Amino acid sequence: MKRFLKITMIVCLLSSLLLANETIKAMKVPGNVSDISPTSKAWLSATYQNVILYPQTTIKTNDRDANELNINNGAKKVRVKAIYDGKNISFLIKWKDSTQSIQDTYSSTVYADGFAMQFPVEYKNVDRLPYIGMGSKGRAVIIHLQKATGDIYEPNGGDDVYYQINEDNQNVFEEELQKYIDEVKSRAINDYQRVFISEGFRSMTQIKDNSTIGKMQMIYKNGYWRGSLSRPLKAEYLNLNSSVFPIAFAVWDGDKKNRAGLKLLSSWIKVNLVGKSGENKIAIDLNSEVKGDVVNGAKIAQNNCTACHRYKDIDMAPDYMAPNLTNIGGYATTEYLMESIIDPNAVIVPGYNRNAHKNFYWYELDEDGVRTSIMPSYDWLDKKSREDLVAFLKTLKAEVK
Amino acid sequence: MSSRQLAMVMDLNKCIGCQTCTVACKTQWTNRNGREYMYWNNVETFPGSGYPKKWQESGGGFDAAGDLKPGIIPTIESDYGVPWDYNYEELAKGLEFSPSIEPTWGPNWDEDEGAGNFPEDNYFFYIPRICNHCSNPGCLSACPRDAVFKRDQDGVVLVDLDRCQGYRYCIAGCPYKKIYFNPKISKSEKCILCFPRIEQGLPPACAQQCVGRIRFVGFLDDEDSQVYKLVHKYKVALPLRSDYGTEPNVYYVPPTEAPPKFDANGKIIEDSTRIPIVELEKLFGEEVRGAIKTVKDEIKKRKETGESELMDLLIAYNHDDMFRLDNDYYQDYAKKSKLSPFKLIDTRYSSGKNSKSMKFFNPSSSEAY
Repeated sequence: MKRFLKITMIVCLLSSLLLANETIKAMKVPGNVSDISPTSKAWLSATYQNVILYPQTTIKTNDRDANELNINNGAKKVRVKAIYDGKNISFLIKWKDSTQSIQDTYSSTVYADGFAMQFPVEYKNVDRLPYIGMGSKGRAVIIHLQKATGDIYEPNGGDDVYYQINEDNQNVFEEELQKYIDEVKSRAINDYQRVFISEGFRSMTQIKDNSTIGKMQMIYKNGYWRGSLSRPLKAEYLNLNSSVFPIAFAVWDGDKKNRAGLKLLSSWIKVNLVGKSGENKIAIDLNSEVKGDVVNGAKIAQNNCTACHRYKDIDMAPDYMAPNLTNIGGYATTEYLMESIIDPNAVIVPGYNRNAHKNFYWYELDEDGVRTSIMPSYDWLDKKSREDLVAFLKTLKAEVK
Repeated sequence: MSSRQLAMVMDLNKCIGCQTCTVACKTQWTNRNGREYMYWNNVETFPGSGYPKKWQESGGGFDAAGDLKPGIIPTIESDYGVPWDYNYEELAKGLEFSPSIEPTWGPNWDEDEGAGNFPEDNYFFYIPRICNHCSNPGCLSACPRDAVFKRDQDGVVLVDLDRCQGYRYCIAGCPYKKIYFNPKISKSEKCILCFPRIEQGLPPACAQQCVGRIRFVGFLDDEDSQVYKLVHKYKVALPLRSDYGTEPNVYYVPPTEAPPKFDANGKIIEDSTRIPIVELEKLFGEEVRGAIKTVKDEIKKRKETGESELMDLLIAYNHDDMFRLDNDYYQDYAKKSKLSPFKLIDTRYSSGKNSKSMKFFNPSSSEAY
């Protein structure tokens, strides 16, 4: 058994090493890619890169039905392409989803399929990238999100109450009623796409001043979604005008009541603007190789982490105590894991609303709003032990289904 | 916790289930823009399924350790009920009168059914329900976007519609199921305790319109308010399902008055109570026994001596005493907190100022109304 475990772990480690080298090669194309649809011919100049998305299991949601539906989620292989024109960049993501879910009915329990692409605002230092789950304090991310919805209306419809009245309550008929219905419909937003800036769970804020424009589309065909994002390489908050930068992807399956944190999420993936040279040329070595003894790492985790963290079938720690590490090896980078072991305050995962699980604060909060993680530093572990531990943590992830 | 807490007391002895409060709320807030199925205020028959269906078994709230419990999200079709309409227009063409959908469930589907056998021991009473504006709200705790907040000035729980992304965890977190998903705007909405009215010294529409005068509104720390007297002085008003751990701020005077039971021969069973005390305990906790005793003692005292402050309170002589909402407090609070004057969401009904220019029915001929 032990031998089998060892072999499995080595296989896992090898596969993670192979993935560590994944790079999305963005090809330069002539013309303008500021608004490219998933069906554009422009995509022919680029090839697909496989990216693995893992179930986000850091926190447990309070939706009983949704939790049951997502209990055995596997990882998902998606395919990604990128092209750029010197000023704008476009990404295409294609993923399998046998159930198309569009939130377009008068229902309280229908959820939309959707996808998001996330960029770190600062990415020069690979060792200090934002937390993969919507950034972290002082390390902001920009997130482009699209959901498959029907018509959505503004909460207060431009302060015009008249056009919010249900058509059944109008005492006009036939043509006049149709005119009213048409006018109401013309006020709908039928394309649910948003840009956010975020510094961690709960802080995500929509950018509404048009300083960051993204053009997103999603199309469903033959059991696959294809989603595209076109955006300027350089805009307020984010400058991607670099030969290499990181990106992360997420998809939501509406059929499984996915929304918010209930999603599949990739790690930071390297994008290389092929042919880009000159200024800002930096080499990003993401998910650098860890040479560690996975079996010894598992022992170290058993002795040091399990009082607070749960992972896989290790569930000694109370629920809600600390981030669940079941898929940490999937979406966290090697650099992040190493940093967090040494300095847990570098990135503090905000976790639950502080009112939801009062006995389990993930951080102390002082009067000035400064957060201090309740996790102690493990800088006393020697270098080899730390590397063994990280090597083990990198094996914690769901298999591709 | 907020610095002050506004609370409501409802006297269940006097609720006749007329739904005037429901209609007052609906015409003010929920007859439009995706809120059509919602009843921020509803009156349900107990025992019964309630609204939404079986809300008491739908999870949410907190366990003894203070952890938010998982819950479910009711569906419009089977739990709330789709608001249906009829084919009035087609009647002119000779078609049969029929509903737009086949109604299978709706609020008050089981109205007045109650429990027990008629006429021996059947019983039911009404419970009007609004958002409890809890001191420890389940909806607020469940939101992964910090979009639900509790106002400092009066503890009213509100949704920041700018932050809300329509995730609906709040609905699972609320054990009373008094926060709703608006499918038209894809965001959550809920009872706002008519805050644009209370800031102007007017009680919530449901309380103002109540024909039974069962609703008292005031601040819990205001010892002169009738709310304070009913809740803290006489302890006859109790929170609903306080075992959910959300510290609700709507209080109920339990139903103490009901006819006696009949025996098999139709004869009155002396000193019997139709409403089983154990059922009331499930809703209002063990304290319900003390509350009932106090009310009964005060009734007796009134009969014997003619005096009883509690009876005077419950008779509800005049609105000015029942509603203690201090307009100046809100103005002062706004000044102190440097808040800019708020903009009313819907100015049509505020102080009746705009009712003459209402353009609800016909925008082109508003003068006619």
